[in-house]
Amino acid sequence: MLQNMIKTDENKAKFVAEFEARRKIVVMKHRAAQISIVLILGLILGVSFYTSGFFITNYGTDPMSRIGDLLNKMIPDLEPQNLLKGRSQSGSIASWFYDMPTWLSLLSQTVQIALVATIFGSVLGFFASLLASKNLSPLPWLHWSSRRVLEIIRTLPDLIVALILVAAFGVGPLPGVIAIALGTTASLGKLFSEANETIDWRPVEAVKAVGGGWWTQIRFGVIPQVLPNYASYALMRLEINVGAAAALGVVGAGGIGIELSRAITYTEFDTYLALLILIVGLIFIIDIASEAVRHHLIGLKLAR
Amino acid sequence: MLELKSVSKSFGSKAAVKDVSLAIPVGSMVGIIGRSGAGKSTLLRLINRLCDPTEGKILWRGQPISELKGAKLNQWRARCGMVFQQFNLSPRLDVLTNVLIGSLARQRGLGPLFKVFPIEERARAILELHSIDMEEVALQRCSTLSGGQQQRVAIARTLMQSPEIILADEPIASLDPANSQNVMETLAGINRDRGITVLVNLHALDIARRFCARIIGMNDGQIVFDGPPDALNAAVIDRIYGRQFVENITENPSQMEVKDTLEAVA
Amino acid sequence: MTTINPYLNLSRQDLIAKAIAIAPKLVSIPISRRLLNYGVWVLAALAFALLCKNVDMTPAVFAKGFKNLLRFFGGMFPPEAAGQEIRILSALAATFAMAVSGTFLAIFGAIPLGLLGAKTLVKQPLAHFLIRRFYDVFRAIPALVWALILIVAYGLGPFAGVVALAFADIPRLAKLYAEAIENCDPKPQDGILAAGGERVAILRFGLVPEVLPVMASQSLYVLESNFRHAAILGIVGAGGIGFELEERIRIFAFDQVAWIVIAYVICVMLLDTISEKIRSHLIHG
Repeated sequence: MLQNMIKTDENKAKFVAEFEARRKIVVMKHRAAQISIVLILGLILGVSFYTSGFFITNYGTDPMSRIGDLLNKMIPDLEPQNLLKGRSQSGSIASWFYDMPTWLSLLSQTVQIALVATIFGSVLGFFASLLASKNLSPLPWLHWSSRRVLEIIRTLPDLIVALILVAAFGVGPLPGVIAIALGTTASLGKLFSEANETIDWRPVEAVKAVGGGWWTQIRFGVIPQVLPNYASYALMRLEINVGAAAALGVVGAGGIGIELSRAITYTEFDTYLALLILIVGLIFIIDIASEAVRHHLIGLKLAR
Repeated sequence: MLELKSVSKSFGSKAAVKDVSLAIPVGSMVGIIGRSGAGKSTLLRLINRLCDPTEGKILWRGQPISELKGAKLNQWRARCGMVFQQFNLSPRLDVLTNVLIGSLARQRGLGPLFKVFPIEERARAILELHSIDMEEVALQRCSTLSGGQQQRVAIARTLMQSPEIILADEPIASLDPANSQNVMETLAGINRDRGITVLVNLHALDIARRFCARIIGMNDGQIVFDGPPDALNAAVIDRIYGRQFVENITENPSQMEVKDTLEAVA
Repeated sequence: MTTINPYLNLSRQDLIAKAIAIAPKLVSIPISRRLLNYGVWVLAALAFALLCKNVDMTPAVFAKGFKNLLRFFGGMFPPEAAGQEIRILSALAATFAMAVSGTFLAIFGAIPLGLLGAKTLVKQPLAHFLIRRFYDVFRAIPALVWALILIVAYGLGPFAGVVALAFADIPRLAKLYAEAIENCDPKPQDGILAAGGERVAILRFGLVPEVLPVMASQSLYVLESNFRHAAILGIVGAGGIGFELEERIRIFAFDQVAWIVIAYVICVMLLDTISEKIRSHLIHG
């Protein structure tokens, strides 16, 4: 009896020792992995900060006070007693937003650029998505290659494209429209094709069984299913595009951006702030409107 | 006459239909029975050419249809109506448009892509809907209808094709008994009144016996029975459904109807 | 027996007359509704045409631009670095380094703001609403707009670019982090609470393991988009590849532009693929 007890105790101790040893190895492996991840990340960050010249850029004495100075310059000299007076009175809001008619028309141009680009981008993106979705593409290699083409376009920043287009088309809103439409086509082409790949195949098969051609299969089998998704993606893209169109003017591609770079060139920092407020307000309004429509669309989708 | 000459179909290494030869006269109503996975569905899909035979020939009125391609293939599909187990309607389109889809193979030009159909097609769609008592819901979305109603809309869509033959793939498998009865009566009526050849896949034996003058039994991709309902005896049913299945019937209430038939036969 | 279709032998008129007898409104759509339908389309088309005209989308402008564009494309082949490979590649490296640095700074800034913006941590509804709207306001400002003003403060060079990327991303990431925290499964936290855990323990063992992979994946996603934004910033003077590109576009050296663009696209696709791999690893384990 006693002999046995000792034996089991010994066994127990042995078992515990074994377990502890194994646990140690596991913990150490885990540690090693964690440490190497931290080291790699640190290395990447160090190299990045060094390569980007973050530390060697000569920005004078104190970065915080510099930005403080600038913020100070951006705040307009408003005088409470003159706040609501006319444009010629310094210290009034009207004199701060002194070129409102021009700015409003440029803001409207910004929205129009975004709208036209989103419409063209959605239509082209739809056709691209038909080629790029696995289940609809007429030929397998076309599916693969159109996907790659869309990916390549997506890597190109819209402002770089706009820069080239401004050189070709001259200063004006059209290069901006084409640049944004191109980016929209690529990103919506991908999103639409993902929507296409999740459809219920049965209605498509029915149209096929009726003797309908490829286009009719798309029209009556696919589109009714994906249209709400398409609309909500396109609206989301519209929100993004308004922001992009606001920046385009910097390279001469139309919209409010041109006033932004003018304000900087003439060191009108308070004007810069005024423009910023206008842009943020615009994007805010577009976002809220589009969000409302999108929620409505989602409601429609759930109701079916 | 619909003729199948040693038709085989395999998906990869798995054979779904093995060396099937058949001759079905124009105007007949034929029930195809068998367990799920026996190759009934594949057989109908081969005839409509939703899939291509690996071997063999299919002829309709002497014309080979197993080699058709492109526009010719679409023309054949238009002459050959298909009714599906899950109805395969577009749920977000209204009933009338779903029925009009049946006329698509006849349409030329861009009109249909904008849902603009000629007035006589609309008129025909309404008459077809009227013949199944569904004209009142013509502008409702299909998703709002019950299963039985949806299947009748799907039949109206098929009728819009002016088909010479209708292939129904388990048309009542997703329906309750009352709707099943209704849909089967509609199919039988189409066969009787219009002389359209109907091939219908069923797994319920009693329904097949009631509505079809000729029954084809399939098991494991092969035809194991072909004859009138009266010739279905216990041995034949055993061959179609397999010994295992018949023994399991008593434990599975959903298959009681088969058992009842078996007892009646015995 | 022949196939009979009861409606096939009817003449067109009879067919229509019969259908009208059953459901008059379905057969022919009333003129008023048809006009309304077409009217909506016509109005939409007119509005669209007006929009196109307003953004200079006219055949004349198009034709002229496309002629130039074709000439540019002709000039792109063969792509050529004109002996400046080292300079271009180091500018590329600087651009990607700018993206990484900017994202890193943004992550630091966004973590406390993300916590602050999460409904689970700041429960007061009005405060939550105001904080999130505040982020939304700043989210609307693109990095380029920040860069324009920061270059005034810090002079030309990547420092302003890095800070601009960070400023633009902090509210974006803060929102994403806040959503990640809100969407996190509360069951592990309940478990720790039930086991008698302190608030800190709940955060450390209930929340952090749940949200950390999601947050990391979203940070990587922002990093991917920053590879593109960083390239833009050079145009306004933050250095890197954007500057090199702009310089060459201005002198119409399109063979070099093509070389740079190809090198850039290859690098971005490579980095995207790596980042996507890590992201899917983070999410799916």
